Amino acid sequence: MSQVQRQNIQGNQACALGAIAAGCRFYAGYPITPSSEVAEVMARELPKVDGMFIQMEDEIASMGAVIGASFGGAKAMTATSGPGFSLKQENLGYAAMTETPCVVINVMRGGPSTGMPTRPGQGDVMQARWGTHGDHPIIVLAPASVSEVYSETIRAFNLSERFRVPVIVLFDETIGHLLETVELLAPAPESLDERKWANGDDNAYLPYGETEDLVPAMARPGDGFRAHTTGLTHDERGFPTQDPAIASRAVARLLEKIELHSDQIASYQTLHCDDADIVIVAFGIVARAAQRAVKTLRAEGIRAGLFRPRTLWPFPEQALLEAANGAKSLLVVEMNAGQLALEIERLCAGRGAVHRLNRIDGEVIAPAEIADAVRQAAP
Amino acid sequence: MDRELEIRLSGSGGQGLILAAGILAEALTTEGRNVAQSQSYEPTSRGGLSRSDLVVSDGEADYPLVSEIDCLVILDQVAVAASRDMIRPEAIVVTDAKTVTEPPAGSFRLAELPLSETAITLGNRRIANIVALSALTAMGGLCDRDVLKQTVLRRSPKTYVDLNMDALHAGWELAERCV
Repeated sequence: MSQVQRQNIQGNQACALGAIAAGCRFYAGYPITPSSEVAEVMARELPKVDGMFIQMEDEIASMGAVIGASFGGAKAMTATSGPGFSLKQENLGYAAMTETPCVVINVMRGGPSTGMPTRPGQGDVMQARWGTHGDHPIIVLAPASVSEVYSETIRAFNLSERFRVPVIVLFDETIGHLLETVELLAPAPESLDERKWANGDDNAYLPYGETEDLVPAMARPGDGFRAHTTGLTHDERGFPTQDPAIASRAVARLLEKIELHSDQIASYQTLHCDDADIVIVAFGIVARAAQRAVKTLRAEGIRAGLFRPRTLWPFPEQALLEAANGAKSLLVVEMNAGQLALEIERLCAGRGAVHRLNRIDGEVIAPAEIADAVRQAAP
Repeated sequence: MDRELEIRLSGSGGQGLILAAGILAEALTTEGRNVAQSQSYEPTSRGGLSRSDLVVSDGEADYPLVSEIDCLVILDQVAVAASRDMIRPEAIVVTDAKTVTEPPAGSFRLAELPLSETAITLGNRRIANIVALSALTAMGGLCDRDVLKQTVLRRSPKTYVDLNMDALHAGWELAERCV
């Protein structure tokens, strides 16, 4: 079952439609520019599919409501921007620890603090990965177009349900408010991942037990399975423990379940990397500018390529190393003071120079600026 | 098409430029083109720089934001500086003769038209956006006149239908007179 409809819609609207297409039936949020259109569309569309929309008193409560809805069995989501994303962090950690599927949309604006509400930024790369305390698993996706916001939001729900992990969809104000002509393909029902629910013998059920794929089955309320849920470090039954061996294994499994499946989670796109002397690394709207810059540079005979991660965390490490294999240098372009660059420098240490191009003034980095930076950096 | 077509409607907040760009986007989509529309405005309901940009392509635009403008409307002096260095030499630039006292200078085609004055003569200064949209569309050959008309009709509230039809007609005439 797939139906195509050609339409002009905004990134934020595509996000809400993607969520509903993925099966999201619960939204709790607190409006904030530049993400509010996600809530607006969810408020209008969710009741039509027997879903529930609730505007909570703040972002902390919104995140709590999303986790509660997910406990109850619903695919659940919230959307916010920088200041609200900060407030959600404590509960995000709780979702990671209790392995509660949920999707958080973060439409990035200029920061820090309340910053520039109507201007784009990419300053939450590290907050998305490390915003909550402790060694926790998380997946972060970074779409670069309106149609990709739709498809990546669907993918976010699939990954979240399958691996029982919070998934962040990170894009910027420009993509959120950008209107593009798109043909949105409704996903086939069999392509949607559903949560693994407990079944069989209740006496043998372990809510946080070891399984082959490291993802335990969840107890659906009402099905009669005994389960205990806590943010405290817990054993396989879900009860608190400070036994070093059990604690060590409990946290390690959370991290390993992502590592084990990183090939299925990591997603990226390359352009002209095969023979590139310099590989540009960029995501979101900046990657679109870089795409144009690569075309300009190639026309001048400069062998530039583009590596665009669609998944920021876990970063597609192997793919980057392969894309940059023959290159003499890299250029990391981002609308922050240099966050993803830290990861690229770590990955490519000893393999060639890693240059940076950054803007922190609420303006998108233009194709011409990227082309200039490449000309300067090219050996 | 070798490159994408870049269009900007700019002025000050409250002039209806984002709406006008949205109408043009819809008309172009009706004609089978793909558009990317972006916008920038300040956190005030009136005043301040406001603009909406269209990048028109046949597939997905590789870069959806404007960097070299082909067709430009300026309805307020406050919007001149933001576009001055992005106008292509062969561009078409339509400014409001009354409010834009220092239009950008260059080798491009500049038409200083009585956009706001025409709107006031027709009975409502708020339809200057449609006068401007119509004039630019005619001068740039951006889309079929009837497609634009049908789109404006579809997007007009009842009280503005007649006014907007007058504005469309007047804008098109202004453009034809200066060709």
